[in-house]
Amino acid sequence: MGNSGSKISSQDRAILDMKNQRDKLKQYQKKITVITNREKEIARVCLAKGEKDKALLALRRKKFQESLLSQTDAQLEQLEKLTSNVEFSLVQKDVVFGLQRGTEVLKMINKEMGGLAAVEKMMEEGAEARREQEEISEALAGQLSNQEEDEVEDELEALEIEMNGVSLPDAPNKTVITDGDLPNTPETELDREQKQKERAKQRRAQLQAA
Amino acid sequence: MTTLTQNQSDPFKFSEHYTGYPPFFTLQTSASARQAQLKRWSRLIQRYCRHYKIFQISIVDYQDKDLFRNAKLNKKLYPEDIRTVIDFMVSQDGQQRAEWVTSAKASAWIWWRRPEEWATSIAAWVDETGQKGSVLTLYEIVEGDASENQEFHGMDMEVLRKGLAVLAKQNRAQVFGTDDQQGVKFF
Repeated sequence: MGNSGSKISSQDRAILDMKNQRDKLKQYQKKITVITNREKEIARVCLAKGEKDKALLALRRKKFQESLLSQTDAQLEQLEKLTSNVEFSLVQKDVVFGLQRGTEVLKMINKEMGGLAAVEKMMEEGAEARREQEEISEALAGQLSNQEEDEVEDELEALEIEMNGVSLPDAPNKTVITDGDLPNTPETELDREQKQKERAKQRRAQLQAA
Repeated sequence: MTTLTQNQSDPFKFSEHYTGYPPFFTLQTSASARQAQLKRWSRLIQRYCRHYKIFQISIVDYQDKDLFRNAKLNKKLYPEDIRTVIDFMVSQDGQQRAEWVTSAKASAWIWWRRPEEWATSIAAWVDETGQKGSVLTLYEIVEGDASENQEFHGMDMEVLRKGLAVLAKQNRAQVFGTDDQQGVKFF
């Protein structure tokens, strides 16, 4: 370690740690885009086969991975502010805590990384595959907020509509619909709330039945 | 570690000697002819490595690649001769454009830019972008978006370290941190 001069302050070291986390995050972002695209494809294929559960699971994993990334993004922004603070010594404790938290999240993301091979496993049939999928389902249960669960189910709906060829002006191999731009049947604020309530009810019922 | 990005859409243009002169692949016996030949090979190797952003070549791996083997002429430069060429490049005569990685002489760094030249290039970029006094990770220097149009983008980490070592000796930078999570501060 270069400790020769004290030209490197503890603030510098904190900034280095923060930037190293940022670099890791950027690398994950690149990798994860490949994986989430594949998850979406898998969801599509499963839907086509009528395997709605699998499709939902794929979308859930994708949502979870995306939420991890945006969590870390937000944390990094916070860290950046802290480390560039001139009164660094005062906020040093916060920075250390922030870095620790960041590392935890990165570890989680790392676990998700398993890579394409892990994602492909979702396509497998058979008892073992099904067991694994159930495990993942359970692990995910409670990891997504209600809002995120809603968003996942919206995504599933959107995929279904898209696949049943409902008046889409685009050629079939154009890029897919993202969360914001598919206009379902015109929903009023009341409709949305109603939907959310119904879904929450269904989920509670499912949990109780499990 | 070799960085090999064969760019199919922008193929390397080989010299006339390589493409049309079979004796180019046999080491000449006459001293003056040999000198000229070694110089030509040195230039060719440097140009090739610069084009494909290769920083290190291992003789075993490269002896059958198009750098040393011309399939059309059915001619290749044999490993012992490749070694001779690189020995030349290592020497003063060859302007120290190569450096053996170990004394086993199996692999060599090809300095189409010497570490000192890299040092200057990186220092200039840091200056221009107002990053003096900031902490940068080694990773972001070679892989970051900010350096994308720089010649050192995508560079081998070892080479970056050598370049930064030059700057450190001149007291213009200091590398710190551990293992592969290192950073550098420029003064």
